Amino acid sequence: MVKEPSQEHIKIPIAMSRPYRWATGRYLGKLYKEARDNKKLVTNRCPKCKELLWPPRPVCGRCKVEAGEDWVEMSDKGTVIQYTYLVYPLWDPHVGDRVAEDYPNATILLDGGVYLVHKLEEKDPEKLKAGMRVQAVWKEEERGQGLNDILYFGTIEQ
Amino acid sequence: MAERVAIVAAAQTKYHLNRADAEEGELAFEAIKPVLQETGLTYADDGNGIDSSVTCSQDFWDGKTISSTSVMSYVGAHLSTEDKVAEDSINAVYCAFGQILSGHHDIVLVVSHCKESQGDKSIIENTAFDPIFMRLLGFDFITAAALQAKRYMYEYGITAEQCAKVAVKNRGNAKNNPFAQEPMDITVEDVLNSKMLVDPIRLLDTKPTSDGACAMILARENKARKLTSKPVWIKGMSNCYEGHYLGDRDLAECDALVSAARRAYDMAGITAPLKEIDVAEISEEYSYQELLWMEGLGFCGRGEAGKLIDAGVTQMGGQLPVNPSGGMLSGNPTVVAGMARVAEAVLQLRGEAGDRQVQGASVALAHGVTGICGQHQCVMILSNK
Amino acid sequence: MANRVAIVGVGQTYHKSKRPDVSQPEMVNEAVRAALADAQLSMKDIESVFVGNMETFEGIYLPDHGLADEAGLFMKPGFKVATGGSSGGSAVVEGSNFVASGLFRTALVIGFEKQDAGDTTGAISAATTPVWGKGMARGALGEFAKQASTYMKQSGATEEHAAMVRLKADRGACRNPYAHLRLGLESVEEILKSGYLMWPLRLLDFCPQSSGACAVILAAEEEARKITNKPVWIADHITVHQEPFRAGTFGDPTGLETYSEDVAATKLYKRNGISNPRKDIDMAETYEPSNWQEMMLYEYYHFCEKNEGWKLIEKGITEIEGEFPVNPSGGVIATNPIGATPVIRVAECALQIRGDAGEHQVTRDVKTAVATALGGPNWTVMVLLRRFL
Repeated sequence: MVKEPSQEHIKIPIAMSRPYRWATGRYLGKLYKEARDNKKLVTNRCPKCKELLWPPRPVCGRCKVEAGEDWVEMSDKGTVIQYTYLVYPLWDPHVGDRVAEDYPNATILLDGGVYLVHKLEEKDPEKLKAGMRVQAVWKEEERGQGLNDILYFGTIEQ
Repeated sequence: MAERVAIVAAAQTKYHLNRADAEEGELAFEAIKPVLQETGLTYADDGNGIDSSVTCSQDFWDGKTISSTSVMSYVGAHLSTEDKVAEDSINAVYCAFGQILSGHHDIVLVVSHCKESQGDKSIIENTAFDPIFMRLLGFDFITAAALQAKRYMYEYGITAEQCAKVAVKNRGNAKNNPFAQEPMDITVEDVLNSKMLVDPIRLLDTKPTSDGACAMILARENKARKLTSKPVWIKGMSNCYEGHYLGDRDLAECDALVSAARRAYDMAGITAPLKEIDVAEISEEYSYQELLWMEGLGFCGRGEAGKLIDAGVTQMGGQLPVNPSGGMLSGNPTVVAGMARVAEAVLQLRGEAGDRQVQGASVALAHGVTGICGQHQCVMILSNK
Repeated sequence: MANRVAIVGVGQTYHKSKRPDVSQPEMVNEAVRAALADAQLSMKDIESVFVGNMETFEGIYLPDHGLADEAGLFMKPGFKVATGGSSGGSAVVEGSNFVASGLFRTALVIGFEKQDAGDTTGAISAATTPVWGKGMARGALGEFAKQASTYMKQSGATEEHAAMVRLKADRGACRNPYAHLRLGLESVEEILKSGYLMWPLRLLDFCPQSSGACAVILAAEEEARKITNKPVWIADHITVHQEPFRAGTFGDPTGLETYSEDVAATKLYKRNGISNPRKDIDMAETYEPSNWQEMMLYEYYHFCEKNEGWKLIEKGITEIEGEFPVNPSGGVIATNPIGATPVIRVAECALQIRGDAGEHQVTRDVKTAVATALGGPNWTVMVLLRRFL
């Protein structure tokens, strides 16, 4: 039987780097500075609903009011609410390559009441459980990247 | 049109080369706050508050997918209506216009922002060109514009001097505009001696990189009258696309603009634009564009815009001042520029344009453009009557 | 006085994971031609065009401009909207607004996505910037996985229920020639045997990345009645956004959040005299990126009480032959060309109301249908369609 010639498609891969320079602005800028200089997490509070805004910003989106400058220092300890484990590499546009994060990704409820999504140091799935207590492990050098100044959250005793 | 829609408040940030001190939302808020304060409006869908927002930004300029999330907290989007238009922001005003006329909303906030300082213009613009035929040629908007300028100048005998006059006029007008980024005292010779970027476009034929935001509130007639003593009515508005492939277009023409203008004029009952319009704010990213767009808008016949500027018709004090604000050339970010034109038209019609006021202005034209060589055009006619 | 707006034609492409045989503009052209053919109109009759698409998915700045010639935008008024996954829904809304306003008598609304020309996960990850959230976003997958595990805990739903939803979707898809994934799944057991993608999501639980386009043609009442004797009326629509959830994009382990779907449904139903949704509405096409989410959406859209979504699937209520069919087309789990997806929801409801859905026509007579769209973070667009006004 004669085989039909298969259609050949011409492929032209275009890989382009798109550089950006993002400004943190005033509010996020304060978070960045405290993280870089003092290894502390800070954010501001809405004057109306009294919730801590996360990320810190000039307005409370829920109350639709200006948030002002009521800054609060938060503990970097928290409790793991949920976690998930990425099994295979997904394309990360910030890196320009497929990346499979080594560390589990978790939603952590910081003791101050704010939810933070970050990595967990503990890689053994047997040892992971919701409710475990964790604390930020900060980079010792070359901070200045906001939340990325925290390497991951390491397990601590209850 | 049975029901009328008015712009009841408008604000702009002072345009700036690099607002490294503010992220997108904070920058937009600088324009949003004044319009909220001026009208005393809050976000509510009881018929007396802002019940919808239309935001306008470009994901590629923000470097962020769904870039409206940068401003959603500032436009009261929580548990409320928000839509995002992805063209020049004059089209976001058009979207709000449609929302109110449809009967779905009464009072709509429109906001646009762009920080050109954060992205790489050529790379971003290159991705607007279709990936199969044009992108690999390495185009960006200025190289395509240069093709258009050449073609336009060749076909109609427009000269480099005439284009330069646009830059001289607009940069000079900008001195009267407190929001303008780069007012300048220049001469035609200065423009012609400035660095050649892409023949025939020179440095002073272009605008600087710019960061900024613009906000305004539209309302249906019965609400508008409660919100301001100086409503500015939208008398006519339309937009239009033309073809994409540069080889298919005759770049000396601007068919989309002619079509959009005709529809807008029909709605507004305008038959002789040069006579009936008192002031025009046109989006001219490159100096030749002000001339070409004026022809598309019917201010004169094809190829005659050069004569118009030579005769001083479009100067301050002339028969139809064009861009008393200084226009895009004096520094407006893309995306925001069209709405900035509307904001300036609003100031003119409210008699609040200070040193750049066109005395007795009663009918204004605002124009915005999106894409390669003005592939998408939008025209708005406003009046204070 | 605003015009009443009807859908007079719908068209879609055969959705696939790859369409190497067409460029993006050519693919959109297919859907537009199909809609025009369905309405028996030509581009001369179309006065405006509204496009819904997210530019980052295919890496094209101003994607509507690139389509101008092939998609019928040439020399027409219109614009593009971009609200994340709900872009197509927002395009329907704005098209409907402009026709209702009297500014245009007809509008063509287009949604499209050519996933094989881009990277959706990468694009979704780019919804964060390095300034806030870099490296923390795992695209939509991680968020859906967390949401699913929360739902299991809160409601008592099991993986079996998720598998039942998946089976229902495939049954619908196999009866819908346009659907993307038509797997011929036979049983819940078969699904439970398949591997996890990201616990508790299985590969099968999650929507595919499809390439496809969908177009609907809207007309004002006077025109609509001339064009077709089966106009499908857009009785109402609503768009509700919301601040990102405190603890994730879609999931809410805090229990504190108000859902945009809840607010949208409450307002839409109230102003349209709908007090018993499963009775007053005949069917729904929802935007459910995973089968877990479909069960949750039953609750958020008030098709049932909170934490009882899984009961509807267990009792077969939402099957094609069921009392309240949901996603007879196979839904988003079977077909997801993101920009097109909300437009497909509207088109599918229109076909059901017209009785033109062929093999996947539901048993219940459809006089009223609701189509929904979902954008990130948790934005809702709902469109209420009726056979008679």
